[in-house]
Amino acid sequence: MQIKNIAITPSPHVRSSVSTRRLMQEVCLALAPAGIASVILFGAPAAVIIAASVITCVLAEYLYQRLMKQKVTVGDWSAVVTGLLLAYNIPAGAPVWIPIVGGIFAIIIVKQLFGGIGSNFMNPALTARAVLFVSWNAIMIKYPQTVFLAKGRVGLDAVSGATPLAELGKVFTGAEGASLSNVSLLDLLLGNCAGVLGETCKIALILGGVYLIVRKVIDWRIPVSMIGTVAVMYLLTSGFNLGLTARELLSGGLMLGAFFMATDYCTSPQTNKGRLIFGAGCGLLLFVIRAYASYPEGCSFAILFMNVCTPLIDRWTAPRYFGEVRKHG
Amino acid sequence: MADRKNTVTRTFLNGLITENPTFTLMLGMCPTLGVTTAASNGIGMGLATTFVLVCSNLFISLLRKIIPDKVRIPAYIVIIASFVTMVDLFMKAYLPDLSKSLGSYIPLIVVNCIIFARAESFAAKNGPVQSLADGLGMGLGFTASITLLSIVRELFGSGTIFGAQIMPESYQPMDIMNKVPGGFITLGLMMILVNAIKKIIGKRRAARKEALA
Amino acid sequence: MFGKRLFPGGIHPHEGKNGKAVNGLNPIVELPAPKRVVIPMAQHGGAPAKVAVKKGDHVLMGQLIGEAGGFVSAPVHASVSGTVADIVDQLMFNGSECQAVVIENDFHDEWKLLDLPWQSGKPTADELRQVIRDAGIVGMGGATFPTPVKLSIGAGKVFEKLIINGAECEPYLTADHRLMLEHADGIIDAVEIVKEAFKVPEAIIGVEENKPDAIQALREAIGTREGIRVQALPVRYPQGGEKQLIYALTKRVVPAGGLPIDAGCVVLNAGTCFAIHEAVRERKPLVHRVTTVGGLVQKPGNYLVRIGTPVRNLIKASGGTLPETRTIISGGPMMGTAFQDIDIPVTKGCSGILALGREAIDPEESPCIRCGRCMRACPMQLQPQLMDHYIRAEKFDEADRVGVLSCIECGACTFVCPAKRLLTQSFRAGKRIVNIRRRQQKAREDAEKAALAARNAEQQQNGKEA
Repeated sequence: MQIKNIAITPSPHVRSSVSTRRLMQEVCLALAPAGIASVILFGAPAAVIIAASVITCVLAEYLYQRLMKQKVTVGDWSAVVTGLLLAYNIPAGAPVWIPIVGGIFAIIIVKQLFGGIGSNFMNPALTARAVLFVSWNAIMIKYPQTVFLAKGRVGLDAVSGATPLAELGKVFTGAEGASLSNVSLLDLLLGNCAGVLGETCKIALILGGVYLIVRKVIDWRIPVSMIGTVAVMYLLTSGFNLGLTARELLSGGLMLGAFFMATDYCTSPQTNKGRLIFGAGCGLLLFVIRAYASYPEGCSFAILFMNVCTPLIDRWTAPRYFGEVRKHG
Repeated sequence: MADRKNTVTRTFLNGLITENPTFTLMLGMCPTLGVTTAASNGIGMGLATTFVLVCSNLFISLLRKIIPDKVRIPAYIVIIASFVTMVDLFMKAYLPDLSKSLGSYIPLIVVNCIIFARAESFAAKNGPVQSLADGLGMGLGFTASITLLSIVRELFGSGTIFGAQIMPESYQPMDIMNKVPGGFITLGLMMILVNAIKKIIGKRRAARKEALA
Repeated sequence: MFGKRLFPGGIHPHEGKNGKAVNGLNPIVELPAPKRVVIPMAQHGGAPAKVAVKKGDHVLMGQLIGEAGGFVSAPVHASVSGTVADIVDQLMFNGSECQAVVIENDFHDEWKLLDLPWQSGKPTADELRQVIRDAGIVGMGGATFPTPVKLSIGAGKVFEKLIINGAECEPYLTADHRLMLEHADGIIDAVEIVKEAFKVPEAIIGVEENKPDAIQALREAIGTREGIRVQALPVRYPQGGEKQLIYALTKRVVPAGGLPIDAGCVVLNAGTCFAIHEAVRERKPLVHRVTTVGGLVQKPGNYLVRIGTPVRNLIKASGGTLPETRTIISGGPMMGTAFQDIDIPVTKGCSGILALGREAIDPEESPCIRCGRCMRACPMQLQPQLMDHYIRAEKFDEADRVGVLSCIECGACTFVCPAKRLLTQSFRAGKRIVNIRRRQQKAREDAEKAALAARNAEQQQNGKEA
């Protein structure tokens, strides 16, 4: 006799409740505090850019997949994550077509043309940001003041474009008139400083990052080794100047990059050792670009460069399987 | 005679379309990415290369039985370099602006892979008429593809085509198109397009054949 | 090296309300013998047994009804006394068919006991192996590999450690747990019999630490005996995997493609030990086993059930399945087999019958997002995502290179995969193909070698003639 309505499937018969969609939703949740902070800090323009970016990404993915007669995977929320990350990398005052162009580029050229989720070899949001940055540099470095700065309540240079990083760079090279006291640690933590809209509020970013690590959505290795490397490099080269190191860690895109960009699954290594190497590489490159190259910030380029190295790192650090007998020579 | 003419035409079309040096053989990437920021650059570079390619193919084909196998590479270089020098001097004299904007890419035609590849794999094995057709086909194929590439790049990078304003005044030029990464991206996208078109044509042809059979 | 884990990788399948927490409290209940039993001939790894009775024969309980069909095979015995009603082709859990003997039960339960080759005192290794073979004992954890074959120690191999698997091979199952709790003396007795016969210096019983009562019972049963100890292990699937268990208890690594004995170990399941105890002390061949019935049934339980009893009886004894049931599984949720026909008889390897709901239906696959969770879960430290990629791209040589044959099909990678990819399923197919290709390759090489040798011989011959 057969029982009705019984399915025959191969083992295993139980699955964990973690799904791609849930992981992406967790990332969105972790990104939410930084988004809210950006709207508080920069006002409505930030909300407009976030909305434009997310809508463009989701719509681009949907339309592309419909057009190419592929399965529509908008439901996995990965396009939303890309949209959020892209928006967070755009200054709040940018015109609305910037996130739209960026979103189309990120989703269609970087993600879908290479095969969709899991097949892109560079982080879509970061690549799009790099393209925007190189193409419309003047727009992309025009950082508006935060609402609070504009009211002149804080003493930082209120001219748009002067980010704390520029000031810190001057301190690092020992330029005249530059002083650490011009950059308040508290302002950096709260995000009361110039920068792209999602990177300023470090407390929100750290909160989100720690949430992701605790929820085991991301591995601690990449953020820890990345931030750690930057810290060590600054300590070593500045003669253990703790004040400068702390301010460097809390400025620019380091926190956003280390927790949310470098940990992107398909563009970072999968082995534990590989993740440590990857993080350290990102940190080192970021330090070199910040300290010695012509750009004030190198987070995106550092991560993008290491993205490209990921397959190599994975290959180097491939684990020996249990009981594997490797031939010598 | 008809047969021969047919093969000459086919050789010519082969270079122009089927084995297009840029989109199919992927040869001569250096100038393809380096100079294609403006449409005039593209067409100038293409025609200069075509001239050298045609002449060198012809001469190498004529001399193919005289040149000893062991010294053929130096011999090719001498022949190619002579024509490149001619082009270079000609452009300096009559097209100084273009010459300036192409810069060292003109002398660098000497080491352009397309010319070498055609010399080695075609001209050294075929008669002068065939080689001439091959040189012309390949050269024009190269010219056409890099001109197309440079039109796209100029349009997005400066908002113009051949210097004429196309985009509205409010258009903010996409600066990356004037840089090498822009070249790579555009080239990649155009290759996707060309391959997709080829695939569709191939499918249609197969379908037509099936219908006939 | 692996934190609290004693082997790399591994997962924690949640054991919700249908799991061990409830189930472990269910004492073993003897299920009454059915009116007729259907005893299949292929209940073990290796060649099926050959039917040794005819229709109409009267058989006693424990009488041989199927002779071992080769070295890697096991005999089959009648689990009731009565009359052979028929010899039929029976559908098995895995969907294949095999010959089966149908016996009409006369409910007298008259025994035909085993003959022991030794009069008194202790058996030698060969004698013990013979009795285990005669009793038809196979691995009771589910793999059903004939136990005497495991105990045939090849030349040059040293049997140094006897490992007893009390880790319960799969989540949800509690049959071994109850057996260890209720029959600790029998299990320890069997351990000592094997240990002395094979002169093994040490026996280690690995038990997961969520069964403190079983650990306690076993320790009490050991008493002052020397050379036997119980070790508590962290709860982590697949702790009951042979290679994982050996590593956890001895830190020895079984080389890829090798057997436990290559690391000086033999692993026996707790259930197998109990069967050895019954064979040696009570002269009873393997005619029953303890099976867990769990999941979506009215009252989950552990049953001592005769081999050949239809699964239907087990389910009926548990009060029937709940309406949410979507699939029924023989074995555990990670490696068990789903089946439809509940008249299939219980076999020697049937460690559990589970009714599972919608969660057991495969969700839709989505593309791999390269998160690396499968790699971290793999107890063999393989790279499942890479192997799956190679197998789907039909790059079997590459898959072989990264160790697909070492996959133990435990299902841990598939369990954790957020993209819900059918990894284990892909490896099962991939392993089969890689094995075929290896055999073909070897055949080709052998043929070439033979041809070369023939040519050389011919040349030599010619040389001599010249």
